[in-house]
Amino acid sequence: MKKIDAKGLSCPQPMLMAKKAMEAGTDDKIEIQVDCAASVENIGRAAKQIGWNLTVLSQDGDEAVVELNKR
Amino acid sequence: MGFFDKLLHGLSGTGQRKNGLGSGQGRSGGKLPERAGRTGSAERSGRGILVFEQTGDVIQAEKALKKAGFAIAVKAPPPVLRTGCDLVIEYQLVLEPGIRAILAEKRLKPLQYYQVADELLEPVSIFHRNDYGEYLMVRAANMKITVQKSNLRIVNVSGGGCPDVPYLASLLMNRKLDEAQPLLDIGQQTLCGYALQLAFNEARTALCA
Repeated sequence: MKKIDAKGLSCPQPMLMAKKAMEAGTDDKIEIQVDCAASVENIGRAAKQIGWNLTVLSQDGDEAVVELNKR
Repeated sequence: MGFFDKLLHGLSGTGQRKNGLGSGQGRSGGKLPERAGRTGSAERSGRGILVFEQTGDVIQAEKALKKAGFAIAVKAPPPVLRTGCDLVIEYQLVLEPGIRAILAEKRLKPLQYYQVADELLEPVSIFHRNDYGEYLMVRAANMKITVQKSNLRIVNVSGGGCPDVPYLASLLMNRKLDEAQPLLDIGQQTLCGYALQLAFNEARTALCA
């Protein structure tokens, strides 16, 4: 499973990192750490567009760990 | 009283403009004095800005003025004039009589008319572009739109906080810049919807020109 640390990055960078990883085709599961609530929403929208599911594994304030799974 | 206190005191008065453009009934506004050593004052002196109470008024005024053929620009207010509405309209002073007529006809009443006579009254561009290589992000005020440069598809819409943002994002996501519908044409009038429309237009200018 690929892990991405996107903490400290502002939109749209976390989403672009997630999109690049999903489109690379090397992993079916990707874990991403973010510290901006809007990033979770943006990554979720991008994932939906290209056939992936997003699950929030943990959330504490603006910090969150999300998992992307290929459908 | 410090310089900025004097400045704000001078700008916040109601009734008549203190200098510059004359004293039309019901108008208010101001002009900062020219100061020696400032650069660009001649360039500034031909422009003015309109300050409105609400973003909705700015949107309506921009629409009416552009429809009437006036060359105006929506910008962010200079720090000394920030009152709540995050946008102002910049115009050429020579156009002011016509602009006043259009606004009166539309029953739009600016809070203030200011002559841009000092850098402290210089409006600020609301646009910012950030190139991420394969992607271009354009921010207009509080909204960002990100486009994949190779195919012109919108890959992200973010910012704001208005309740219509998720809906607007769903309209634009994965659409190509040259096929996405202009948002204002379908009725959005929030600051986010308006700013997103501006960002969309700016992205088109950057990538579709």
